[in-house]
Amino acid sequence: MYPYGADGPEGSDFAAEVRRGTAERFRKTDLPLAKLWTYYYGLGGGIDEMSLDAYLHEALDIPSGQVALIAMAMTELIEGETL
Amino acid sequence: MTNQESGAGNFSIVPQADPVPAPDVETRLKELVLDSKDVAGFLTDLALIAAARLSSPGNRIHCGVTVMRRKRPEAVASNDAAARALDELQNGYKDGPCLTALRNRTTLLVPDLAAERRWAHYTKAAQENGVSSILAVPLDLAGEAEAVMNLYSGCSNGFTDEDISTAEAFASQAATSLRLVLRIAQLSEARNDMAVAMQSRTVIDMAIGAIMAENRCSRDTAFKILTKASSTRNIKLRDVAATVIASISGENQIDTYFDE
Repeated sequence: MYPYGADGPEGSDFAAEVRRGTAERFRKTDLPLAKLWTYYYGLGGGIDEMSLDAYLHEALDIPSGQVALIAMAMTELIEGETL
Repeated sequence: MTNQESGAGNFSIVPQADPVPAPDVETRLKELVLDSKDVAGFLTDLALIAAARLSSPGNRIHCGVTVMRRKRPEAVASNDAAARALDELQNGYKDGPCLTALRNRTTLLVPDLAAERRWAHYTKAAQENGVSSILAVPLDLAGEAEAVMNLYSGCSNGFTDEDISTAEAFASQAATSLRLVLRIAQLSEARNDMAVAMQSRTVIDMAIGAIMAENRCSRDTAFKILTKASSTRNIKLRDVAATVIASISGENQIDTYFDE
């Protein structure tokens, strides 16, 4: 499942690092998965809810553009809540 | 005719004297589920019914409902301000009889606060507010949520064994209704979130297309331009997208038709 070595070790290490950070952030926020997915979809997100779940459990690699959108969805949702 | 009428009258007295008022409560709860605008409104009605049923002349009962939200207890409903203040007081101390009942999922009775040795800070503060006995009954919501019904009395030993079983029976009936209310609320929230997402996605997709045409770039690149603008200016992606569209066509209102 993990394409380690596909982009060279540095690239995949970085992706794994980001993935771990995103997963940890998601656990801390206590956001419901469905809420995050719907918001991410609203930003133009292109992966389904189950793949998002897998990514957040560090079990799936997804394109870096989607990673950025997930991070953005989390940030915007959290900011919206604290307002 | 008169005989029949009096006969019917006598007959109708029998079920009223029966100490099982269950069907009445059941119907009432169903109506509440249908009429409630939101979860807090439903819980407020529950608190009102519970307080009215358990109060007797000389022993007024105050009722509050505390719900666990994001791992934190929150006083969401009550029949009066006094109950709400007591709930909030306890949640402030993060411990007390009601929170203990919630954690252990069992009914907890404090017959006399003056004799209670646990939760010293809270019991002292509650006594200063005129409370002498507390009955906390958790609502079994089958893991969907956690809630506890908190009953306060100004009299010591303010809750009889009968009151406790009445409160427990009511709580178990109310729990079923509450699960329904929660499910309806979740579905309508998901629907609203989805409608918002469709609106936002239309605006963002349109802006991406505009950036692609202007810069003669790929979708990915256009996305990167848009997200970069959003994060450097700390403006929501959707709002940046709306600005892009407005700057091109002057349109400020992009609607998505969403079938209800």
